[in-house]
Amino acid sequence: MAQGHHHIIPLRTLSIVFAILLVLTVVTVITARIDLGALNVPLALSIAGFKAILVAMIFMALKYDNKVNLLAVVLGVVFVVVFLALTFADTEFRGNLGITEPAITEPVSEPSDKEPPSH
Amino acid sequence: MSSADTTLKHYFVSHEQQFDAAKLGMWLFLVTEILLFAGMFVAYAVYRSWHPEVFLQASELLDWRLGALNTVVLLASSFTVALSIHYVQKGQNDKVFLLIILTLLCAAAFMVVKYFEYSDKFSHGIFPGAGFDPHGIIDGKDYSKYNVPFAPQFFSIYFVMTGIHGVHVLVGMGMFGWLATRVARGHFSPQWYTPVELTGLYWHLVDIIWIFLFPLLYLI
Repeated sequence: MAQGHHHIIPLRTLSIVFAILLVLTVVTVITARIDLGALNVPLALSIAGFKAILVAMIFMALKYDNKVNLLAVVLGVVFVVVFLALTFADTEFRGNLGITEPAITEPVSEPSDKEPPSH
Repeated sequence: MSSADTTLKHYFVSHEQQFDAAKLGMWLFLVTEILLFAGMFVAYAVYRSWHPEVFLQASELLDWRLGALNTVVLLASSFTVALSIHYVQKGQNDKVFLLIILTLLCAAAFMVVKYFEYSDKFSHGIFPGAGFDPHGIIDGKDYSKYNVPFAPQFFSIYFVMTGIHGVHVLVGMGMFGWLATRVARGHFSPQWYTPVELTGLYWHLVDIIWIFLFPLLYLI
């Protein structure tokens, strides 16, 4: 029967996941309030990533579902990484172009009234 | 069984196949949602990597206590949604109704906190875009000292990301209100509860987006 197919996630599992999510929220607040130098950002992102995986796998039941759903999400995330990587391949290697102060972006001289070069 | 026949479309072989198709469709929609927010996360990442010290300083003006409160509120609402699916699968629709109302209240609480955060920022001249003019002193912080180059970028990103996230919360509230009426009208059974399941998936994604927004904007 159709209903036999649905996996009913036990209350105990749901409660444990909720408790872990709350604990991790406290951990992320505490660790962010302490200056860990270069570690602050990767740590906060790792905790957030782990929380997201917990929500997706248990609350959203990806763990119990047809695996094609997981495939769709993983492909989506892969393309987010591609998006980020290709964008950074540009923005991180622009030299001074990307770090201009606002004053520099203002016109430094009157536009010349020379004819634009013809193609 | 007679009620089951009205919920099974003729072009599906079984409830199982119909449910899986609907769920895959929802996941594909959620992937487009992930990519929508990815554009904003990439914008955040680029500006942050260009001006890390400005982002660190500007984030001090966001109240991490309110952000943390909203994180807990959204996590709780995700939990109530997961519970509502557990009970709808067991056919205990009175509990499903209660849990959906609780979820709706959590979502409303989230928006109320957001309202106070936004109005506090607006009243001290923190607007997205050209209106950016921080002033006043709160909690010993002189807002006018935060009027530095590229601080407006941080707050524009903050307003756009939390704003679009907030719109998603409002849409979710509408859907939970609609679900509550359908539960009350006895539309769902362990055999067919697809709208509850799909709205639940949507809501968990809204929660996941906030799980990333909270540390990125308020904490680090």
